[in-house]
Amino acid sequence: MISIADLLVDERIPSDYFANEFYVKGDIELGLLENRQGNRLIAIPETLIQGIYAGLEQEIGQNTNLVLFNCGRWWGKNLYTRFCDEVTDYYQVAVADMTMVEFMHCLRQCWATHGWGQLDLDQTYQQQGFLVISVTNSPFAKQAANSTRPACALEAGVLSVFFSQLTSRELHCVQTTCESMGADCNRFILGLQKRLSPVEALVSEGMEHKAIMEQLCA
Amino acid sequence: MHPQIESMFDEAEKRYLKPEELGCLNQYVDSIPARLEIYRYLRDHEVEVMQQVADNLEAQFSEEPQATLERCLKNALLILRYSAMGMLLNDETFLHGRLITWLEGTAKAYQTEAIDQVLYQMLNQRLSQLLSPNQVEMIKPHLQLAEGVLVNQRQAHAIA
Repeated sequence: MISIADLLVDERIPSDYFANEFYVKGDIELGLLENRQGNRLIAIPETLIQGIYAGLEQEIGQNTNLVLFNCGRWWGKNLYTRFCDEVTDYYQVAVADMTMVEFMHCLRQCWATHGWGQLDLDQTYQQQGFLVISVTNSPFAKQAANSTRPACALEAGVLSVFFSQLTSRELHCVQTTCESMGADCNRFILGLQKRLSPVEALVSEGMEHKAIMEQLCA
Repeated sequence: MHPQIESMFDEAEKRYLKPEELGCLNQYVDSIPARLEIYRYLRDHEVEVMQQVADNLEAQFSEEPQATLERCLKNALLILRYSAMGMLLNDETFLHGRLITWLEGTAKAYQTEAIDQVLYQMLNQRLSQLLSPNQVEMIKPHLQLAEGVLVNQRQAHAIA
């Protein structure tokens, strides 16, 4: 028999930890932005992102994406640690023990609340060893409008390390479509580096995402 | 707080409030005792209200795994708590940005529409027995918004 009193452990029912109304707190007097655990958040102006892109392009040109990818890996490493700490603390369950549905909801909401766009996971190719992640309304893609190559290397780095730590396998991440090139969303393929090695060349050749997936899974 | 009332305070430097704005504020202030009464009732009788719903639900869906029913009931407890707060603040947007996205994710992932439909019928019935018709009217819009997400996603999107 279900007991309502038992469902109300400590009088609380965890729901949406990353709900934007709860997660971001501002202290006007101190000029600080904090999350609901009191950790500092920083707001990045669009001009800074534009400046980073322009500066890197001028200084290192073609290597921009490599640098951004590695920066993303550092960022993702710290993001994963913080994500796990906060989620475990709130839901009282380790991230590894969460159901995929709960985990993805948290990640999706975390992504949106931090202002990085709408993230979705496509598990169609999971059996073949690939996960596809799509992000819509990415602020990083938006600041790189009319790009000739995918511009979300920073996010690709974040996603590669985030899912590597989650799955305890070293995963690489390659972007196949980009909003900055007129695509409907930014698509990222996650998988083992060796298996993803032909993807970057295929993207440069202008091959469509679906065709790339078919070739990878063939 | 009700968005209309909240926006009135932004006008303080420009002008005094118009009679109809003061009327709106008055209306809310007058309704606070009634809102508090409903809120206190739901706060103090939460377990009692929901236990009967849980018992009936379990009887009707005896084949369903207990974990599924518990998940639905937890959502209902959350909805009732948030609706009570939304009703107290007279803010129908209170649930947006706090709970609706969570419910949408749950509804999409677990597909418990059939259970939720019966659950919210039972909950509404239970509230109608315990609260007066006027009190039910005050909390109903908030409950309906959340129920719509779980029971009929299309309807929820229309409201949003």
